[in-house]
Amino acid sequence: MDTFLEFASGSLFRLSFAIMAMGLLRILVLDIWAAIEAYKRAGDKNVPWNQAFRKTIAWLFPVSKVLNSRPAYSLLSIFFHIGLIIIPIFLYAHVQLWKGGIGFGWFTLPKLWADYLTLGTIIFGLALFIGRIVNRASLYISRKQDFLWPLLLIIPFITGYLCANLNLMPKYYDVFMLMHILSGDLIFILMPFTKIAHCVIMPLSQFILALAWRFPPNTDEPICATLNKKGTPV
Amino acid sequence: MNRVHITKLILWMITGFAVAVGITRFLYGLGATTNLTDATPWGLWIGFDVMAGVALAGGGFVITAIVYIMRREEFHPIVKPAVLTAFLGYLAVIASLLVDLGLPWNIWHMMVFWNPHSPLFEVGWCVMLYTTVLLLEFSPVPLEKVSRYAKIRNFLLKFRFPLVMLGIMLSTLHQSSLGSLFLIMPFKLYPLWYSNILPIQFFISAVALGLMMVALESLVSSYLYRRPAEYHLIAKLGKTVVWVLLIYFIIKMTDIVISDKQELLFNGSWESILFITEILIAIIIPMIIFSTRRFRNNPAGQWIGSILVVSGMVFNRINVGGLTMLRATGDSYFPSWMELSVSAGVISAAILIFLFAIEKFHVWETPPRDPEAEPHKLPRFDTASQTWLGIPAVAGRTKYTLIFILSFALGLALIPSPNIRSRGISLAPVAPARGGDTLFIDGNRDLYGVSFNHIRHIEQNGNKKSCIICHHMNIPLDKQSGCYHCHRMMYESYDAFGHEWHSHKSGANLACGKCHLEGQEKNAISAKKCDQCHIDLIPPGALITIEQYNAPAYVDAMHILCVKCHREKVPSLPEKPNLARCTACHESIPPDYLKDTEGNHNVNTKNNRPYFNRVMLPGLK
Amino acid sequence: MKAILTDITKCIGCLECVSACKSVNSLEMDVPRIWQKNDGLSADNWTSIIQKPGPHYIRKQCRHCLEPACASACPVGALSRTEEGAVVYDSGKCLGCRYCMMACPYGIPRYDWDKAIPYIRKCILCHPRILQGKQPACTEVCPVQATIFGNRDELLAEAHRRINENPNKYINKVFGETEIGGVSVLYISDIDLGFLAYKQELGSLPLPKTTSAAMKSVPFAFVGMGAFMYGLNWVIKRREKLGDKDKPNEDNKHE
Repeated sequence: MDTFLEFASGSLFRLSFAIMAMGLLRILVLDIWAAIEAYKRAGDKNVPWNQAFRKTIAWLFPVSKVLNSRPAYSLLSIFFHIGLIIIPIFLYAHVQLWKGGIGFGWFTLPKLWADYLTLGTIIFGLALFIGRIVNRASLYISRKQDFLWPLLLIIPFITGYLCANLNLMPKYYDVFMLMHILSGDLIFILMPFTKIAHCVIMPLSQFILALAWRFPPNTDEPICATLNKKGTPV
Repeated sequence: MNRVHITKLILWMITGFAVAVGITRFLYGLGATTNLTDATPWGLWIGFDVMAGVALAGGGFVITAIVYIMRREEFHPIVKPAVLTAFLGYLAVIASLLVDLGLPWNIWHMMVFWNPHSPLFEVGWCVMLYTTVLLLEFSPVPLEKVSRYAKIRNFLLKFRFPLVMLGIMLSTLHQSSLGSLFLIMPFKLYPLWYSNILPIQFFISAVALGLMMVALESLVSSYLYRRPAEYHLIAKLGKTVVWVLLIYFIIKMTDIVISDKQELLFNGSWESILFITEILIAIIIPMIIFSTRRFRNNPAGQWIGSILVVSGMVFNRINVGGLTMLRATGDSYFPSWMELSVSAGVISAAILIFLFAIEKFHVWETPPRDPEAEPHKLPRFDTASQTWLGIPAVAGRTKYTLIFILSFALGLALIPSPNIRSRGISLAPVAPARGGDTLFIDGNRDLYGVSFNHIRHIEQNGNKKSCIICHHMNIPLDKQSGCYHCHRMMYESYDAFGHEWHSHKSGANLACGKCHLEGQEKNAISAKKCDQCHIDLIPPGALITIEQYNAPAYVDAMHILCVKCHREKVPSLPEKPNLARCTACHESIPPDYLKDTEGNHNVNTKNNRPYFNRVMLPGLK
Repeated sequence: MKAILTDITKCIGCLECVSACKSVNSLEMDVPRIWQKNDGLSADNWTSIIQKPGPHYIRKQCRHCLEPACASACPVGALSRTEEGAVVYDSGKCLGCRYCMMACPYGIPRYDWDKAIPYIRKCILCHPRILQGKQPACTEVCPVQATIFGNRDELLAEAHRRINENPNKYINKVFGETEIGGVSVLYISDIDLGFLAYKQELGSLPLPKTTSAAMKSVPFAFVGMGAFMYGLNWVIKRREKLGDKDKPNEDNKHE
């Protein structure tokens, strides 16, 4: 067991964390690169910075979405995201590990808060999963990874909660710890290659959307010709 | 996939790996990543990357001398690639030097704090200046692309002759001064290589190496891009190199004969074999190849000859740079895979920049074509996702960055955890004492151990009560952990309690008064015991009670536990050694069972070090 | 000029000097590392006792050469010899090239291999203490005066006096009197101490002298090469001008 733990939290963790960090950086850079090329190709060089910026903010802090359509679902999603981001980064035990590894730590959550937030995240995650199954419309547009992600994401939270509260199941501490680390590693490895990559490219996507759908100058005629709609303005 | 793309893919992979190792080196120091020791402070990064790298980049000054000073215009086609190779070579040298230096952010000190007595000072200055000169020599090529900078370009071209002159003069200095570096080590460097004219030897061999490096660079790049190399020029270079090698050989041999070292040549020692191999590879065989008209004009002969000279001269730099010092220092050094990968990565990165430059700029007379970009090529699809890979440039960067991050991650993962954590003390993993009535306690497995009579210790120390002296309660439901359970490493302390967690507001958030009683000194002994809070911690039938939490290092624990009792016993046992004196145990004279058949004890193998003087008493305070 | 004289025949191997050194220089506890040499010295151990059969106890430390190779090798002058005779280290200048470790014929300087910000570590003859008028910690604590501190001339005289008084007991040589130009840490002994250096006999030539000849010729090589290249170019140009179609012999460039 010690060997497994050592491997999962040592080599495998470094591998997965590096793939996560560098992989996210990679897609960010590649996307910026693509955006620049799209900008160069574009006929209309006017970038609607304001509009893209406003849309990004609206997506990051979806207040209006909460008020409009499906408020319960949006709220659940927001709280789930808060738990997902805050707990792994600001948990005391994690910060201690960073301190040991790279020499410095940062602000940590009080234990009580962390516990409640973890429980909340687990519940919200499950609720999101159920919501996706129950709602006909979202079921229709879902891919396989959309079902798997909420489930995969709550595994480290469940096992982490059990490890942090030793008195719950002291005998299986090692098992839960191993599951906790392994599922975390798996999440890290998958992040840059699946939809979780939206954590870095979400802000960019509005700009790319604003940029990429510009046609080069004088392309309207050939397009219309292709669509058999000669003479119609584009 | 064609040659260029496969090569680039491999180079990106090596670079990614090396970047991971490089980050580790800067985070955890040289000890965690290299096999360098106090006896061998310079290793692969100096011997190969710096010493050989500077010599390999010597092609720049040799070719510019031929073209601009001797006005041999026919060599003009290879001038730009040669200068580019030299420039990138020097950048690679500086990059690996920055990795090797302990305090690389202090490298600018060389400009401020002068010590003109030091050859290294001179080398450092020349390398800095010459790299700048090379940059100025090469920059007209990229500047040509941008019409805005035409003025700067013309200005630089006007100063080409003085720049070339300055480059040659600086090269003369530092190529030879690299040899002067080793003049100060007459007792370490093996006599076959040590010579008062080492600087001159280094300079001449750098000329030969530079010529052949230019040839090899031309051969390799034309292989990659499937274009004919400048075979007629390489043949001419080959003809020249024969003369250079001949002069080098004569100087080297004369020096050996004059200083009366010829008997070392054939005495069959390891060094004599190295020396003869070096001479054969670097001098004799290439001379035969290039002095024969048939081989000289044949691409195969050019390939073999140039590879031999290049590898032979690199071998010479490695020999001088440290390999032949191992006999004097008595050390054994072989570069760790991390050192090797950083060296490979720096070279890979330099080659990638080279390939980028020849594809983008007018370095060759006829720029290379990318076969993937041919208009008749069919669009390519990813086999897994069935998506279009995009235009060649997009497909390329997607692929290269992917392999880069994957091998970066692999590099980080492969770094052994002990190297990072235990700062060079990895030799001391503690083995569990094998049970029974008598234990053989030899934590770090160096065969210096103690036969420990378990039963007698229990009897002497008060039966069951005495278990606590050695066995601890460390994890919940623990019944009787042996020393090994927590003291995994001989010299690392182990915290079984976690004071910070218990007191931190994000942890257990306990006020001091919860455990430490008012008015008492706050220490482990006066504090509450574990079982006063964790009621269910001790399982029924446990041998031990809870006493001690913060375990010191294994070695300290053993000294406190064993030496303390033995010292109490010493007065009653006049025959026993005086344990109050460290030298009673920590001897440099190895026990008989560590001696080989001739009665010698090989003290230099790393696994077998005598224990004497290793554990020093902490300061007297 | 201060010096240390160690009498091997008197040392009892009690390690008091080692403890005192650690305490005065605030060195950390020493644990065996894979990169250490087998002589007990390390980044946290600036002096050590080597035991030889007999038993003989030989205290190893920096020899504080009169013309130190390390100081002449250091490209930034981080190592320097003071008036008092101590070879001291300025960590603020050091850039970590480790050329001093390569240059030292005794293999004394050690390195903080385990640190991300490493420095060279070696005995500095307790230079701050000498400046305060005290003697080094090691000589101060020695219970049997096996290692003593004083002016180099007086210690040399004392060493010769001891050898002359007991010619049968000692080898007739003060180790360090003349080797590589003389050192400040002297030994008298009844066994040969050649093993303290990389070679049994070091000779009397100071090591900085080996590179100084090459370094002195640097300006001449610089100017000479420039003049030669310019001259060569001038000759070749002139020949071309005169319509001399014979290209210059290829051998020209080897000179």
